[in-house]
Amino acid sequence: MKRSASMSLWQLTRGHRGRFSAAMAALLGATVVGFVEPLIPAMVIDGLLARLAGDGVEGGGAAAGAGASTATETVAALLGGPRSVVDYLLAAALALLALASVNGLLTYLKGRWSAQASEAMARRLRNRLYDHLQHLPARYHDGAETGDLVQRCTSDVETVRMFFATQAVELGRASLMLIAVLPFMLWINATMTLVALALMPLIVLFAVIFFRRIKWVFRASDEAEARVTATLQENLTGIRVVRAFGRSAFEKQRFGRVNADYRDRTFRLYTTMAVYWSLSDLLCFLQIGLVLLVGGYMATQGSLTVGELYAFLAYVNMLLWPVRQMGRILSEMGKAIVAMGRIGEVLDAPVEADPARVGAAARPLAVATVSAGASLATSPDGLLGRIVFEDVHFAHRQGAAVLDGVSFTVEPGTTLAILGPSGAGKSTLVQLLLRLYDYEHGSIRIDGIELATIPRKQARQLVGVVMQEPFLYSRTVRENIRFGHHEAGDTQIYEAASTAFIHETINGFREGYETVVGERGVKLSGGQRQRIVLARALVKNPPVLILDDALSAVDTQTEQAILDALDGRRGRRTTIVIAHRLSTLRRADQILVLDRGRVVQRGSHEQLINADGLYRRLWHIQHTLQRDMGGGDGETVREQ
Amino acid sequence: MAEDILHDEQLPQRLNMRLWRRVLRFAGPYRRYMVGLGGVALLIAACDAAIPLMVKAVIDHVVAGGADARFFAMAAAFALLCLVFAAAVFGFILLGGRIASGMAHDIREAGFARLQELSFSFYDRHNVGWLMARLTSDTDRLSRIIGWVLLDLLWGVCLLIAIAVMLLVLDWVTGAAILLIVPMLVIVSAIFQRRILAASRRTRKINSHLTAEFNEGISGIRTTKALVREQANLDTFKRESGAMHEASIYHALQTAMYLPLIMVIVSVGEALTIVIGANRTLAGAMTLGTLVGFTYYAKLLPSPIRETARNITDMLGAQAAAERVMQLIDTEPEIQDSPDVRQRLAEHAAGPRRADPRLAPDGLPDRIGSLRFEHVRFAYNPGEPVLEDFNLEVEPGQTIALVGPTGGGKSTIVSLLCRFYEPDAGRILIDGIDYRRRSLGWYQSRLGVVLQTPHLFAGTVRDNIRYGRLESGDAEVEEAARLAGADAFIRELEHGYDTEVGPSGNRLSTGQKQLVSFARAIIADPPILIMDEATSSIDTETEQLIQRGLTRVLEGRISFVIAHRLSTIRSADRILVIAAGRILESGRHHELLAQRGHYHALYTGQFTREYEHRVLGTPLLEEDGLSPRIS
Repeated sequence: MKRSASMSLWQLTRGHRGRFSAAMAALLGATVVGFVEPLIPAMVIDGLLARLAGDGVEGGGAAAGAGASTATETVAALLGGPRSVVDYLLAAALALLALASVNGLLTYLKGRWSAQASEAMARRLRNRLYDHLQHLPARYHDGAETGDLVQRCTSDVETVRMFFATQAVELGRASLMLIAVLPFMLWINATMTLVALALMPLIVLFAVIFFRRIKWVFRASDEAEARVTATLQENLTGIRVVRAFGRSAFEKQRFGRVNADYRDRTFRLYTTMAVYWSLSDLLCFLQIGLVLLVGGYMATQGSLTVGELYAFLAYVNMLLWPVRQMGRILSEMGKAIVAMGRIGEVLDAPVEADPARVGAAARPLAVATVSAGASLATSPDGLLGRIVFEDVHFAHRQGAAVLDGVSFTVEPGTTLAILGPSGAGKSTLVQLLLRLYDYEHGSIRIDGIELATIPRKQARQLVGVVMQEPFLYSRTVRENIRFGHHEAGDTQIYEAASTAFIHETINGFREGYETVVGERGVKLSGGQRQRIVLARALVKNPPVLILDDALSAVDTQTEQAILDALDGRRGRRTTIVIAHRLSTLRRADQILVLDRGRVVQRGSHEQLINADGLYRRLWHIQHTLQRDMGGGDGETVREQ
Repeated sequence: MAEDILHDEQLPQRLNMRLWRRVLRFAGPYRRYMVGLGGVALLIAACDAAIPLMVKAVIDHVVAGGADARFFAMAAAFALLCLVFAAAVFGFILLGGRIASGMAHDIREAGFARLQELSFSFYDRHNVGWLMARLTSDTDRLSRIIGWVLLDLLWGVCLLIAIAVMLLVLDWVTGAAILLIVPMLVIVSAIFQRRILAASRRTRKINSHLTAEFNEGISGIRTTKALVREQANLDTFKRESGAMHEASIYHALQTAMYLPLIMVIVSVGEALTIVIGANRTLAGAMTLGTLVGFTYYAKLLPSPIRETARNITDMLGAQAAAERVMQLIDTEPEIQDSPDVRQRLAEHAAGPRRADPRLAPDGLPDRIGSLRFEHVRFAYNPGEPVLEDFNLEVEPGQTIALVGPTGGGKSTIVSLLCRFYEPDAGRILIDGIDYRRRSLGWYQSRLGVVLQTPHLFAGTVRDNIRYGRLESGDAEVEEAARLAGADAFIRELEHGYDTEVGPSGNRLSTGQKQLVSFARAIIADPPILIMDEATSSIDTETEQLIQRGLTRVLEGRISFVIAHRLSTIRSADRILVIAAGRILESGRHHELLAQRGHYHALYTGQFTREYEHRVLGTPLLEEDGLSPRIS
């Protein structure tokens, strides 16, 4: 895998860095304001103490007269001295409210901007993945598992998004607090700062070590859950077997075992979490207690004012939560990097390229392509549809040859039928015509133009194909048919559907052409799907129509009726039919018998039934049947 | 599951107390834990409320310039508080965890047991994925709510009361002023928790659409390329991802607004403390320590309120899940033993003849010889009868082949025979007795069923064969496999009979699964065998093996075969051509062929397809109008 093209988490933020910076700035502001806030009650407290001491109500308020350089006094002096703070209680209260509002606003902005940045990033990443996947070559998709790809595009993207939306922000907050606030705290009181931070490293370390260590407890619980799900699924999908053998009690026992195991493992997880939370809480409380008591002691000694003690208590509370979080985040940060790596692997895979885009070396070809493309694009109707295969070879990766020197010519407007056992290379041949794969040797020409020089998208527009496994999008039937040709009007759609013998069926659906197909809609039978896909190909009205075993699930009479209707195209459009039924094959102008990647026989129906081979054996079935019927005793029937 | 999210999007307005009481019945066995947990919750609330008091004590002590010795006392007290708190947290999670995991286990068990009894009409209405979601995610959610949410509620309320009491006792004027922010907190929390939950559901729903789009994009890649739809698909996708973007930002903004609002409200409380509290302090009505303690209480107030609001919202959100799970558990099976049968079962079990091998558990003879359908009518949906006035008499040992188009009623006949459904009208008689007068458990255990898609369970090959008769020994298992023609291939497997077959047996080929399922049926030795023959392709060699195995399976019992293979059809004692819920033709192969009617047409079609398949080695695809459906 090339390193250069892959993205790092940092590169991913490109284009959103302004927003992220703004969010960080807001966070910084909020942090600073948050630290100033407790100073107001602190001033009020010291002011009160001074007032009480001055009035002689309370005796030796140790803090009141102590050193002239305490922080609250400095701040209070700026506002007019401790006494005046007490005189302006309302002002102090309003100042507190104002600070809290500013803090709230900044916190909101931080949330807003970081959400906007991370969501925009996630959206761009999703779009890019989707686009990229669609342009990856068929070969890539052959080797990839759909579930795995989907997971990379969904949960891995979500992991990365979460990292930016919350974890990165939390880490930012924790570091900002230390950077911005540490000097501040040190300025107020250095000893107390050390006291306030005394247990923090321990709290982080404990969380990091703990979450690293207990991964297996989580995994054990997940695995037990998976076993419950699997057992449940086995039972439900096999419920008829269970019932038929009267095995309910046995099944309950079996389920009971995995169910109890799951319970025990979940409980174990809870126990572990109980240990973590109680110890972590203990550490946090000890930290608070340390500040309270050491600070209290220092206050009685006069090295700290009561107001400052109050401020430190507030700071410790503020620091504890992010610090606690940090442990968890640090232990989970690896996930985002792994997820990004998995996403990068997909994005690094090279997309289908047209030779035209390769570069300078291919320039002569590119010129040819442009001209070929232009002529094709301007007059697809003028295209005849003459297809020539010349000694075409193809193999999947390192495997054995799928096509091993195939040559044939289809004259414009004629029909070619291909017959062959499974694995003969019939479908591969179709996919080469669609340029889903690139042939290695030999030449494929459409109307004299080398297929490899026609841009893929244009090549695909020349060919209408109905594949073996009909694929419909989960949209309405109308949309699915219109996908063949975007400008197709309703009349064209109905016409195509009638030719495919599906119009009546569609009208029979409760919502007619507006019926949604698939997962969220109606379930269609295999034959109905095939006929809708055929209608889609007909709406496209391409110069070349390929039916790859496309009517296998349609009953024989309907198939013949469809083929009769398609005969109208004869002479105007080229058709390639891959089929097994004699009744279908014999209609063709030319029949090709393909076996293990080679053309073993070719000719018309009459020629082939007179030559020994697959076609004749197929044809003989009719005779066997007659003998079977006539012979009476079925046991003597043997395949020819 | 996408559907569930859709339904859940609208939060119910209020809690359905009857439903929650029903759920709470599952907490019965954990009553003691619940009580303990309640105590722990109170303890935690007390500790939470005690911390500001500690602060107050220290400050007052400092202001008084007190002796150092008391610091040690206070330190000891604080340390004790910490330990108590930590212990309480430990107990809280432990007990809550026990209740949550235990209840999840019990609900799943109850649900599973119910699923083993429910009729097949129930399975027709709910797919496997839906049922699984009820017993996994829904159940976990419910038990979490009982285990944590209820007690969190208790904690929240207690803490709130403790704070209020402390505030009012220490100085009722300032205390009352601080409590003014409570209604504000409640309103803001209630509004935002609801909005946040609704927003998160919306994002989840759109996210499931996105996943579906990815899925479709990937699985339809060839079609997309062939139709040159890349750009159009991307445009559609961008619409969805744009919607996701909007919904997620809305969701994030709700959260981003909520917490600052709470912060501002709390600062209102603090401001009130400063203005009123300071004056009260100056007036000597309260100490400085109390003033500091009050600011702590103001900061403590939002957490119980926020948690309570969140918990109530969670319960509202889980209400739909609770309803679905409880409904599943409370569904009565449509087909079960009648009161009369249940009485006979009890009498027989207690009676003197319970050891008599000639009697079934319901007290009637333990034998099945003949079978009769009498004027049977049946409809899956009212008004759309599938069978009407269906009559059939089967003699001991006969093999009946059912042929005909899909939807004609073949599968229905078999389902009725299995008593997966019961006739709407008419009777099915076993040795002259209406099968509804027999015990369901006994009757179904006398049936052997071999399905079209043979289902094996995860486990070894041996386990799967033994499933037919649990008490059979290894030798019997192997003997059955030999009879079924499965022995040879099993011995060639890596661990022979002890080879794991994988989930749903998918490590074996379809043909191998078929053979194992034959062995399973043979070892069970049922008086009635029902078989839905596979249409899927199997190589010729395996097919011959299956043919031989099948002959063994069908021997010496009444057999019903939904037949697709010529050899099976030809060797049947009787062939029934079923269409539109009626028997069109009935007789032996030659007789029916000679009639040149429906059977003749079906047979020639099938013959051609089967031979084409043999010549070309291509899959025997199911055709429309002929494809059979598992009942």
